[in-house]
Amino acid sequence: MTKGRCLCGDISFETAATPQGACACHCGQCRKQSGHFWASAYVAKSDLSISGTVKWYAASEAAERGFCPRCGSFLFWHAHAEETISFSLGGLDAPTGLTLEKHIFVADKGDYYEIADGLPQKDQ
Amino acid sequence: MIRGACLCGDVTFEVDAKPERAVACHCGQCRKQSGHVWAVASAPRDKVAINGELNWYAASAIGERGFCPRCGSFLFWRGHDEPTIEFALGALDSPTGVTLEAHIFVADKGDYYEIADDLPQYEGEEP
Repeated sequence: MTKGRCLCGDISFETAATPQGACACHCGQCRKQSGHFWASAYVAKSDLSISGTVKWYAASEAAERGFCPRCGSFLFWHAHAEETISFSLGGLDAPTGLTLEKHIFVADKGDYYEIADGLPQKDQ
Repeated sequence: MIRGACLCGDVTFEVDAKPERAVACHCGQCRKQSGHVWAVASAPRDKVAINGELNWYAASAIGERGFCPRCGSFLFWRGHDEPTIEFALGALDSPTGVTLEAHIFVADKGDYYEIADDLPQYEGEEP
C-alpha cells in the first residue's frame, strides 16, 4: 500500500496499485506551482482513494492540478483525457518503495540548477 | 529587479535586492508542500514587494508558508524572528540570475531520488 498526505494532514490518499512512471517534471507550470520542480507517479484514477477536500486548478484546458486549500500542498495532477491520476512523491510516507526513472520537460527547466543524476532526460 | 509570479498570476512579487542563500530544502515539510524539493533564496522583507492575496500556513511555531489560494503555488516562507523572507525559485521569471548554492536538511530527504550535483550538502540548516 502506498500512502501519502498533505503537510497539514487535511488530505490523505492511498493506493494498493503499483505506481508507474515516477518522474520529475520541469515544465514551467509545475515549477511555478511547486516552487522548484515536481516529482510524481501515477495509478489508475479508480485505484487512488483520496480523503479530504482537494481544490483543483486548471492551468490549461487539458488538465487540472489538485492542492490542499489549507496548507497549499501540491498533491495531484489529472488530465481530462486520461484514466490515470498523478500524485506527488514528496507527499508519500517513507519508505516510498519508488525510484525516480526520468526527467521530463527539461527543455523548459529553470536556469538556476543542473540535472546531474544521470537519469534519462526528455524534452517533453 | 527580480520578478516572480504564481501559476495563475494572482500573486506577483518583486525583489529589489541581491538574493542570498539560494538553496534546495529537503525537509519533510517542504517536501510535502512542494511535492518534491523546495528551492528558495532570501531577501530582506522590506525589499520584497508582494501583490495579491496569500494564504499563510504555519506548519511549526517558528515560521509560516505562503501560497496562492487560487492555484496553490507555494511561494514564500518567513520565520517569525527573521528580518528576511524566502521566495520560491521556481516562480521566478527567466533569466533568474540565481544559482543554487547548497542542499539543506538532507538528513530528511526523500528515499526515491539521489542528490548528484556537486553542491555542498548540510544535514540541517546551513552553518
